[in-house]
Amino acid sequence: MSAPGRTSGGDAPMSGQRARILARTSAALGGRERVPHPGDFTGPRPPDARGSDRLRSFEEALVAAGGEVVRFASVEEARRWLADFAAAFETISVGATVPASLRPSRPAAMPRAAGLGVSIARAAVAETGSLVLDARDGRRTQLLPPTHLVWIRAFDVHATLRDALLDLWGDLPSAVGFHSGPSKSADIGQILVRGVHGPGRLIAGLIVEDDGPRAAPSTP
Amino acid sequence: MSAPRPGGYRAAAREVLRDRPEVRTSVLAATHTFDEHRRASWEEIDADAWRDWMRDVKSHVLTHLDVYLETAEARLEANGVRVHWAETAGDALAALGAVAEAHGVRRAVKAKSMLSEELGVNAFLEERGVLVRETDLGEYIIQLLGEPPSHIVGPAIHRSVDDCRHLFGEKLGTAPGASPEDLAAAARAALREDFLSADLGISGANFLVAETGTVALIENEGNIRLSTSMPRVHVALVGIEKLIPRLEDLSAFLQLTARAATGQAIGTYVSLIQGPRRQGEPDGPEEVHVILVDNGRTRLLADERAWEALRCVRCGACLNTCPVYRQTGGHPYGWAYSGPIGAVLAPGLLGLEEAMPLPFASSLCGACAEVCPVRIPLPELLVYWRERAVEAGLVPAAERFGMKAYAAVATKPRVFGAAAALLRHVPWELGGRALPVLGSWTAQRTAPPAAPRTFRSIWREGIE
Repeated sequence: MSAPGRTSGGDAPMSGQRARILARTSAALGGRERVPHPGDFTGPRPPDARGSDRLRSFEEALVAAGGEVVRFASVEEARRWLADFAAAFETISVGATVPASLRPSRPAAMPRAAGLGVSIARAAVAETGSLVLDARDGRRTQLLPPTHLVWIRAFDVHATLRDALLDLWGDLPSAVGFHSGPSKSADIGQILVRGVHGPGRLIAGLIVEDDGPRAAPSTP
Repeated sequence: MSAPRPGGYRAAAREVLRDRPEVRTSVLAATHTFDEHRRASWEEIDADAWRDWMRDVKSHVLTHLDVYLETAEARLEANGVRVHWAETAGDALAALGAVAEAHGVRRAVKAKSMLSEELGVNAFLEERGVLVRETDLGEYIIQLLGEPPSHIVGPAIHRSVDDCRHLFGEKLGTAPGASPEDLAAAARAALREDFLSADLGISGANFLVAETGTVALIENEGNIRLSTSMPRVHVALVGIEKLIPRLEDLSAFLQLTARAATGQAIGTYVSLIQGPRRQGEPDGPEEVHVILVDNGRTRLLADERAWEALRCVRCGACLNTCPVYRQTGGHPYGWAYSGPIGAVLAPGLLGLEEAMPLPFASSLCGACAEVCPVRIPLPELLVYWRERAVEAGLVPAAERFGMKAYAAVATKPRVFGAAAALLRHVPWELGGRALPVLGSWTAQRTAPPAAPRTFRSIWREGIE
């Protein structure tokens, strides 16, 4: 596997396996009836996909999964709240694309040493209570600190997961993470515990300023 | 895990039931909880419509699998992912081993992956001097115990809090009275070091999106995100049946898989992985490999009936509802996949003879079919494999004779009526014990007295 590029076209045993798997697959399907794709999944819709109910659905779903939501009427209000909130943490790590107005005033620490991680979500999903986190903001800040604060602008909250996926299409970084609550596990005797590997506390800072029609997808 | 050994099912099941009653207690409680959560969460949505749609998407992919495999490969390579094809478990391990060797890997962190259990990844890498650390809390527990997983979703459900307390006290030095929170915190601290020092992250895949080359992974702890983000190399093991056509198709699959598995609206973390770290991104692996694994899947795909089992999304719902699985957990099944889906996949992936007697490890009650999110006709497929086993002479003579005798009687109404009338007068307490099969049943039980009249005679006169 040393040569970069097309490994499957490279060494002979690998391409042989590729050819044989594909040939067996085609042969297996020989006379099989081909099932058509059923089309778009439109499924059930959330109670109200627009306006303030969209935000309420997001909030309810995330809180039900153990997350927290704090609403702000403006960036200025969020910024004042952050100054207080961040004071409780000795070290803070901040995502690469968090705007200056939403960064704590202290110098940022390494994610592995930070008590608080501050990220900005690219989008959110009302249907599932998910925050959509982009690798361009930095994965370690999203995962290593025990408390995770994620900024989300109201106009980036999609009604459904399908809407969010359609919006991601065409602008996918190396990884996208949907975070829908604090890290949890019931692997020890079926008893739910939080903060097993990821953050044990997830707070969405929802900034409702300008909750108009959705802006074009932002590229950090 | 070691080589598959479904052949030991009967003896192993008997041993668990007789010698380890606490396993049944733990498994019953856990599966009941899983199933209740699934039931409640399905009531919130039009689950039947979702299931129909998902069945059709999966059937569509499987009946166009050659096309989708090539699409996915091209897309993955365009994303900078190295693609490997593996016909057998040995080939998949060789590809993984070559990656590990090329990078001089000494330590690997592993996210929960049933395919890696099927392939036997841990033993293979450890023989080559690579320290492999399971990072899912349940997988970590059973790795410390030296056991295979007993459930697709909850690998350690056969273990109690006390078992974990004892284990972590010994291995991690936790206090004798440690709470589940304390135990989890100790595991978090130990595994955090592994995440920071590992050179290689190994994962499976819940789905592989053909049009975007996206590896999609569902989890609750964050260990999969960490395993695929922290080490400089990430290898994803992907069964060739895991394909999904479009990114937007994930919407239903992510949601209903979570609802079927644990009753959640969505897994706490979903990873959508497109390849190695790109310019301008602060972190992420330098190299991403996808190993596309056949290992019996094309053989199963070629089967005119059983190919539908390849729709499976590994949610574990059929295990949770299965009255047979619930008695013992997954260990007696002898390989990675247990319960009804394990019994249906085994003859396809391992071969019929190797899989015996798993298709018989079911009461055919049909509960599994009621909960499968992709509507795999599990009871029909169990019967299908049984028929195939009888044809192949793989069924013990007594059972074959019993089924034949029953068929001979039950297909002739007059004979059936006479036999039914006769059976009502059998002195079960005495005679039953002398009979094969019935003997072991009646040894522990007394039969209720027969009804004064047969059902058929009441039926003839019309039921009031």
